Amino acid sequence: MKVHDFLERAARDHPDRTAVVHLDDKFTYRDLYGKYRALAAFLDGLELAPGARVALLWDNSFEYVMAFFAVFRAGYVLVPLDTSVKPDKLADIIADCGAEALLCQSKFRRHLDRILPESTTVRHLISDRALKPGREAIAVGTLADILDNDAYRHDGQLPGAAVTFDPAAARHDLAAIFYTSGSTGTSKGVMLSHRNLVSNTEATVEYLRLTPADSVIVILPFYYIYGNSLLLTHVACGGALVVDNRFMYPEVILDTMERERVTGFSGVPSNFMILLNNSTFTTRTFENLRYFTQAGGAMAPEVIRRLIDAFPDKEICIMYGQTEAAPRATYCPPERLREKLGSIGIPVPGVTIKIMNDRGDELPPGESGEIIVIGDNVMLGYWNQPEEQAQVLRDGRLFTGDLGKMDDDGYFYVIGRKKEIIKCGGNRVSAKEVEERILENEKVSEAAVFGVADPLLGEAIKVAVVLKNGCRSGPKEIQDFCREKLAIHKVPKYVEFLDELPKYQSGKVNKLQLAKR
Amino acid sequence: MATVEQETIRKQLRDFITESFMVGLEDETFEDSDSFMEKGIVDSTGILEVTSFVEDTFGIGIEDEEMKPDNLDSVDNLVNFIRRKQG
Repeated sequence: MKVHDFLERAARDHPDRTAVVHLDDKFTYRDLYGKYRALAAFLDGLELAPGARVALLWDNSFEYVMAFFAVFRAGYVLVPLDTSVKPDKLADIIADCGAEALLCQSKFRRHLDRILPESTTVRHLISDRALKPGREAIAVGTLADILDNDAYRHDGQLPGAAVTFDPAAARHDLAAIFYTSGSTGTSKGVMLSHRNLVSNTEATVEYLRLTPADSVIVILPFYYIYGNSLLLTHVACGGALVVDNRFMYPEVILDTMERERVTGFSGVPSNFMILLNNSTFTTRTFENLRYFTQAGGAMAPEVIRRLIDAFPDKEICIMYGQTEAAPRATYCPPERLREKLGSIGIPVPGVTIKIMNDRGDELPPGESGEIIVIGDNVMLGYWNQPEEQAQVLRDGRLFTGDLGKMDDDGYFYVIGRKKEIIKCGGNRVSAKEVEERILENEKVSEAAVFGVADPLLGEAIKVAVVLKNGCRSGPKEIQDFCREKLAIHKVPKYVEFLDELPKYQSGKVNKLQLAKR
Repeated sequence: MATVEQETIRKQLRDFITESFMVGLEDETFEDSDSFMEKGIVDSTGILEVTSFVEDTFGIGIEDEEMKPDNLDSVDNLVNFIRRKQG
């Protein structure tokens, strides 16, 4: 079984259910299937070698979903590209993966001026408009032409009832390469197989109890592994993707959620903080909303409490993972959230989590060590980076780089990133612990803690703080607040107030940029 | 015809957007009608900076429910919104 078989199954079982909603447009699985088959036929006709890389630079949209599955059906490897990344970086990624075809939304056509002249591998460019590639060796096509061409048009036949889908038989062939932002600043191409994606998708559908009646508002980019998971899980269950790329204006998203009666909302911590602090989110009832999911970094218990208080009748599922785990490693069952506040929960079905010390010994409950993931979701490796790969992948086990522990109930807790432990004057301080304390201050909207070089301490603790609208504070107030609950060596030496924290497109805080200020 | 006051508002907004979000991008330009969202000039946290600037500079309050593209998503939209709020 391969990733596109999710769409095959959904089209067979739910042809007339809504697959994608985007602004005023609604597409059924039948619509999606016909167009995906046509595009796959075109891509297959390019006769690229099996496993050839096809890059996709496109906003979340129906076209993205169609292209996503078409690349897999044609037997190629998908490379989703971050649309916020500068053209120089995109050119580097395309060179690194050796993409032979590029599906590029015309909105990003200026990037092509940098990407295509540099590329020695791209031979095909497909867009929503006729673009000029600037190189004669590149064949150009438009989606409209492809979909209207009788040579590729699908006959409307849906997959037959006889086709069976067995996740356990999912192929370990390379399916996609997701480039991560990377805590060191250099991107790594995470290689995920069909089995990685299929097994993790099925596990997530199971613990979220997703059904064809479910629909999720998609504000997270599909090129980000969490956004990708929304795409796969909802097609896998025959549910709907309600795409809205306007999170910059939260009220618009909230209106869409009500109008389309979505059953799920998935976000990263900054999404929830913006909604809780800067929108009418908590005044709305969202009658059809069944659940929230949160991943993409630790959300402070204080923020989770506010979400619980605002929506006591909705399920809130805190999750943990990373791109290298396809991505889901753990989830906290909503019914246990209050008593396990701060926990990342239990392993998702089919995955094993261990806590290990540096010698490779598994540690008992209560002891801190590195979180290790074992399962069919663990990546194949990093594209073209064997040394980096060897640091995190050993004997099929993924060394996450996160420090954590397990309680007596088998629930896991993240203490911090190994790389985010600040070594301050002989003490090891968790940035996460200090952030959570500062976020308890009612004047604080966001906080990011990191280490900065210090001649005396080795590393000193610095925090960048964003205050809530209308609030005023000073470094001493923040430091005094920390001093009330934290050991003296955990109090930040430096406090800087900012109007906003620099973030990646995924919403995660860019601490590298903060540390360079 | 644009009034002197509208032009003053327009210039203040353009200067703020340029200084806050276009540093290092001097080769890039934007029209007053360009969508901040579509052009990627401002993101979901940047728009909060914009609203803070507008509130502080023009003496108006922006309610959560007014944080919509029609009011905020271009220099033109902001000028019209500010003028309406100022009465």
